[in-house]
Amino acid sequence: MKYTKELVSTLIIIIITFLLAAVLIIVAKYDPGMALRSFFYGIFGSLHGFAEIMVRATPLILAGLGVSVAFSTGFFNIGAEGQLYMGAIAITCVGVFLPPMPAVLHITIAITAGFLLGGIWAVIPGFLKAKYGVSEIITTIMFNYIAINIVGILVRTVLKNTESALPYSSVMPKSLSFPLLLYPTRLHGGFILAIVSAVLIYIIMKKTTIGYELRVVGFNKRAGTCSGISVYKNIVLASLISGGLAGLAGVSEIAGVHHRLLEGISPGYGYIAIIVALMGRNHPLGVIISAIGLSALQVGANSMQRQAGIPTSITSVLMGVIVLLALSKNIMFSGILKKMRIK
Amino acid sequence: MAEAGTTLYFIVTLFAASIRMAVPLTLAGLGETFSERSGVLNIGLEGIMLSGAFFSFMAAFITQNILIGVICGCLGGLLISMIHAYMSFKCYVNQTIVGIALNFFSLGLTSFLFLAYFGRTTTVPQCPVVKPIKIPLLSDIPIVGDVLFNQDIFVYFTVFACFVSYIILYKTVWGTNIDSIGEHPKAADTVGLNVKRTRYVTAIINGCLGGLGGAYLTLALLGFFMENITSGKGFIALVVVILGRRHPFGVLFAALLVGAAEALQFRLQTLGLGLPSQVFIMLPYVVTVIVLLFSIGKSSDPAALGISYKRSSR
Repeated sequence: MKYTKELVSTLIIIIITFLLAAVLIIVAKYDPGMALRSFFYGIFGSLHGFAEIMVRATPLILAGLGVSVAFSTGFFNIGAEGQLYMGAIAITCVGVFLPPMPAVLHITIAITAGFLLGGIWAVIPGFLKAKYGVSEIITTIMFNYIAINIVGILVRTVLKNTESALPYSSVMPKSLSFPLLLYPTRLHGGFILAIVSAVLIYIIMKKTTIGYELRVVGFNKRAGTCSGISVYKNIVLASLISGGLAGLAGVSEIAGVHHRLLEGISPGYGYIAIIVALMGRNHPLGVIISAIGLSALQVGANSMQRQAGIPTSITSVLMGVIVLLALSKNIMFSGILKKMRIK
Repeated sequence: MAEAGTTLYFIVTLFAASIRMAVPLTLAGLGETFSERSGVLNIGLEGIMLSGAFFSFMAAFITQNILIGVICGCLGGLLISMIHAYMSFKCYVNQTIVGIALNFFSLGLTSFLFLAYFGRTTTVPQCPVVKPIKIPLLSDIPIVGDVLFNQDIFVYFTVFACFVSYIILYKTVWGTNIDSIGEHPKAADTVGLNVKRTRYVTAIINGCLGGLGGAYLTLALLGFFMENITSGKGFIALVVVILGRRHPFGVLFAALLVGAAEALQFRLQTLGLGLPSQVFIMLPYVVTVIVLLFSIGKSSDPAALGISYKRSSR
């Protein structure tokens, strides 16, 4: 019976979301039929569309896993966007400043550096929260803006490609590129990195003492302290893992998609990752599913923009509404469910 | 002599600009102060300001009337604030998460409607902006007159709002009620205070003032709207509230501090120091973080901040 209730409320959410999208599209005087066609064509119409969903899901899975680890520990990390950019800076520095070396070694160094730099960018707010009780929501958001501007400064100064007038770094060496998985689409090895990370996070969070302690701190700080679990240590650790995973998302975007550092490599992946974690209920498998779902929503919306001229910002509206409905469904739909006699 | 003249001019315009930059932060911060004192943490302040900025711009653009713009700005902020209130008081959803979701919602809605209405144009649509009002006599005082008494109506209103908020929060019974509800809603409920109604009222104040803060961006500072025009001002306003320790004048001074950083940022960009402009754009955010560090250990959050109150819970 519990599952019926879940299923019905999920169906209601989907229907409301579609209706809302339809209302917005009709109010703005776009062609709803064309919108619907191009939305589904974008997602299911071609191999390219399918691969594009996975390409966009890759950073969402990585950053979403990061956010979910932080949320499980009661650390509201809103800074995945900034941590992603720090990871991107790390791999670019590895590519620009280190001498040529074998690909395996090179990419391993880049991944480690990306994890660490992203992690450090989250550990500072984590430390401030754990030690002094400074609101991590504020600090992580400010760190997002700072990180994005640091990228802007770097691509105009230290990391600038001297052969071009445009603000971006030189192209990364071949040894720092992820292999393509499904030629000629853009699907790259970062997707495997994301899945492996999800499995690792599942094992760490659900099968080890480390993960158990992290979750205890998130569930009840006082109970944790009373049973000898350090709140301070675990919040700092959670922020490190969380920022590190978001940093990996940045590494993956450079190594798999852009191959050079430039401004705006992330169309808000770090923010969408928050929704990914919320929708995935902080479970790695849930994160993967919701990342792919939200990625499909974006790919469909991009197709709607190309073919029907509908602004892609419609996805932000829908994502906000989906989160609100999903969180409040038990109370908001209780009347409807009662009428349908579903308990 | 000429050198001293330009320096003086630089300082006068800098101070005047700092005050203008502080207005949206103060207004939004005052609203959030009411909300947080009653125990409701609204991270959706960014969304409130953005919605206020958008709806005030649209109304002012269509009607060419600033007053209608101001009213619609308040209503736009109110819309987001009321969704937040409904979600957290009625559905008991985590207030922080609702706020985050509302920021998404507001960003998407304003960008979508803006692009849908104007399309992708090369010319920026403009709306009328408020003019500075010279206060007779006072504005003739050298330097101080130019800085303080040659400002627009919003600036005067902001100072007025600070005084009114101070009186409400510290000199009336209702202000004390707000505090007691923020500290211990159960106890407040037991002695007969209406927790939900009070929180709804503070949410209304928050929405209106936040929306007004957003309206100031479009109707006074800029005269146009673009996607994500607030770019984190709502979050900075949250810091201002923490730093000002939820005291109306504290909020005002904290906002002036961050506002000065913002005004300085624009001035430094135009000086042509040969640095990338991002160095300066980053400044207000860096100042905000540094300022936040100074509030360490001094904050005294309302005990029930961010916790939904369920009457039947133990």
